[in-house]
Amino acid sequence: MEIEVKMPDLSTTGGELTVLKWLIAVGGSVKRGDVLFEVETDKATMDVESAHAGVLKKQLVEPNATVLPGDAIAIIEVSQVRPAMAAVAASVPPVEANRQTTSQPSESVSGVNPNTLAASSPAPPRAGMFAENRAKRAENATTTRSQNEQRAAAPRMLPAEISHDQLAAYNPSFLLELYTRMVRIREFEEGVKYLFLQGSMPGTIHQCQGQEATAVGVCAALRDDDFITSTFRGHGHALAKGLSMDEILLELYGAASGCCKGKGGSMHVGNYDKGMIPAIAIVGGGIPLAAGMALAFKMQKRDQVVACFFGDGATSEGAFHEGLTLAAIWDLPAIFVCENNLYGASTRVNQVTRLNDLADHANSYGITGRTVFGNDVLAVYEATKNAVDQCRSGRGPVLLELLTYRRTGHSRRDACNYQADVEKQAWFDRDPIRLLGDALTKHCDVDATQLKEIRDEIVAQFEVAVERARSAPLPSEDDLITDVFA
Amino acid sequence: MAEVSTTLATRRLTIAEALREAIAEEMRRDPCVFCIGEDIAIPGGWGGAFTVTLDLENEFPDRMLNTPIAELGFFGAAVGAAMMGMRPIADVQYGDFLFLAMDQIVNNAAKMRYMSGGTVKVPLVMRAPIGATGRGSQHAQSMERCFTGVPGLKVVAVSNAYDAKGLLKAAVRDDNPVLIFEHKLLYGSKGARAESQAVDATSDIPENEYVVPLDKAALRRSGSHVTILGWLLMSHYAMSAAESLAAEGIEAEVIDVRSLSPIDYNTIGTSVEKTGRVVIVEEGPRTGGVSAELAAGITERFGEYLLAPVSRVASADVPVPFSPPLEDAYRPTSQRIIAAVQKLLSR
Repeated sequence: MEIEVKMPDLSTTGGELTVLKWLIAVGGSVKRGDVLFEVETDKATMDVESAHAGVLKKQLVEPNATVLPGDAIAIIEVSQVRPAMAAVAASVPPVEANRQTTSQPSESVSGVNPNTLAASSPAPPRAGMFAENRAKRAENATTTRSQNEQRAAAPRMLPAEISHDQLAAYNPSFLLELYTRMVRIREFEEGVKYLFLQGSMPGTIHQCQGQEATAVGVCAALRDDDFITSTFRGHGHALAKGLSMDEILLELYGAASGCCKGKGGSMHVGNYDKGMIPAIAIVGGGIPLAAGMALAFKMQKRDQVVACFFGDGATSEGAFHEGLTLAAIWDLPAIFVCENNLYGASTRVNQVTRLNDLADHANSYGITGRTVFGNDVLAVYEATKNAVDQCRSGRGPVLLELLTYRRTGHSRRDACNYQADVEKQAWFDRDPIRLLGDALTKHCDVDATQLKEIRDEIVAQFEVAVERARSAPLPSEDDLITDVFA
Repeated sequence: MAEVSTTLATRRLTIAEALREAIAEEMRRDPCVFCIGEDIAIPGGWGGAFTVTLDLENEFPDRMLNTPIAELGFFGAAVGAAMMGMRPIADVQYGDFLFLAMDQIVNNAAKMRYMSGGTVKVPLVMRAPIGATGRGSQHAQSMERCFTGVPGLKVVAVSNAYDAKGLLKAAVRDDNPVLIFEHKLLYGSKGARAESQAVDATSDIPENEYVVPLDKAALRRSGSHVTILGWLLMSHYAMSAAESLAAEGIEAEVIDVRSLSPIDYNTIGTSVEKTGRVVIVEEGPRTGGVSAELAAGITERFGEYLLAPVSRVASADVPVPFSPPLEDAYRPTSQRIIAAVQKLLSR
């Protein structure tokens, strides 16, 4: 089957793009995710990945030719068309096949002693017009800007493996369940990414590849009747809280049977009966809500808790301050989970705060705050478990900062040109799924085949779900005006 | 007359007293109802800015939540608590502060039901005092217009004590977010909290329980020559104008629009079909007001009955001024309403 590859709109203006060079020759084999060609937009040079696996039959444009979004660029003879993905005409290779380039340990990064930087003292302030003030401030402040700059190298301070001691405390079936949940999120997001690039899915997407351990670790410590609030990057939270791939995919396709009847979409997935209100797509907007949800639990003398997910960017919002203030003064059972993936959209966290650890915000509210390596699902689980216990016993709230990294763009077609290669590599070496997978094969009686079977089963389930979602009935015009009022 | 009022067993209450009574009754009836706001439940305090919640903490010590000065935070908390089965009554001291809570009201409270595909309920009551009262620009605005165009919100405005009690009770029992606008000059607040330009908005409140529906306008005076629409303070000014016009032989029908979203076009339409002439009075600035929506809605629905274009009396398109002569010039008066009616009838 031949598939026409169309030019995605990578520009910020929708204007012309220049194809710079081809990286796959005619007749060459292509895997999903391989870079087909480089393109120059009005802002930057970007790679265009293939959404298909097969053989490149034709290059339809010459190097240096200008094209418009939507123009046909290439023809790929697609191999291995699976029924569910026929319309997309892409096979879904296992995660590891995709990750070969990134899963190799990097000498330069992994060779650094994890403790070297953590133990080093702050560098002297830079000279300049305000050098004196800055020096004084540096003496007094708990954190200096130079310390903050070290944060750029933060991953080097983080462990690159999960130890045997950590694993020993857990039943292997529990560990495999955590692994399965993380892979479910990864494969869901990867599948959705390509469905989206294909143009078969409406709207926009914000994905969480690389952050699976935060969602899974937190939600594993919650009960079914506990609640979460989420953000525009909420697919992973939803899956971790127990929503099915089906109901989320249906929602992403705008189907009438989606988890929000097609009225929420990617940025508002939720299922009240499963303990997730529709995700809040306004940065920080869920924080006061979570305080109120926890307030209700306390007033009703129910022992439920709320886990409120938000990103590092949200800590600059007034809603963060007001929500945490209320939760603190009323001792509410709320766990404020800051997924610090180092970027608010494209702005790096050290450009918008002087704090080294965002968990230090907790000091402002007189509550418990902890910074945890967010790619270690067990560390996240343990920290959340403690926070949940604290909240259920009336000693909430808790602020958890989970250090993690997003492997994908902020939203659709973001090439992440603002992320340094060395930083990316360091974090990819600490991929949450790889960390747990390696630990399971190394320390537990689990072999790689078993892990592959877990992934294969999820991929198969995903394909079935896609098939169902693509053919599910869409809402009718009559549905437009329902569900406004109760 | 004395005999009749004894039989009906009523008491004369101010709006502030009627609201307080409504809140207390609803809190007794339903343990999920609670109040959240600034400077409430402070022994020796004021009961909110206008005495509405005065002393309620004595009967409901656990359900009167005094908050930090954090409108975004506590309105969001109220929305969150409502989603989890509580029935909060959140109030701002001045309507102008609603803008601080705008994200939670507009993006969360109003949209949550729809975004969830009809699975989440937000039974939330919000109360906000508005109106120009010698406090300058930032404690004075009439911002109903900013909320009437937000799908998912119900918006009502109370102009007397009877409605205040009945609408608040209906709002508490409604499963949707309801925003109640109150007017500082109509509360009947007493003592140190009294307002110098206050207008009597007291009512005879029956002893028996009642609610006032959230979607019905109220006919305040019957007439055949012209329909005057107003709400809050303007409905009182409209009544006063109608009395003066009656002396000239002009019989104005006065409707208190009361329900600003949704608008009760049945009641309004019946009147327009009878009179064919409409004057809408609004305390907010002329441009972009609720009166504009009413004018368009009436023209679309009842255009064929209109004998003249719909006329509006509204405030100037300026921030609310401070100096008394400027404030008087800013806001519609009975005289300006009378002039508008006379002009309309002369067409």
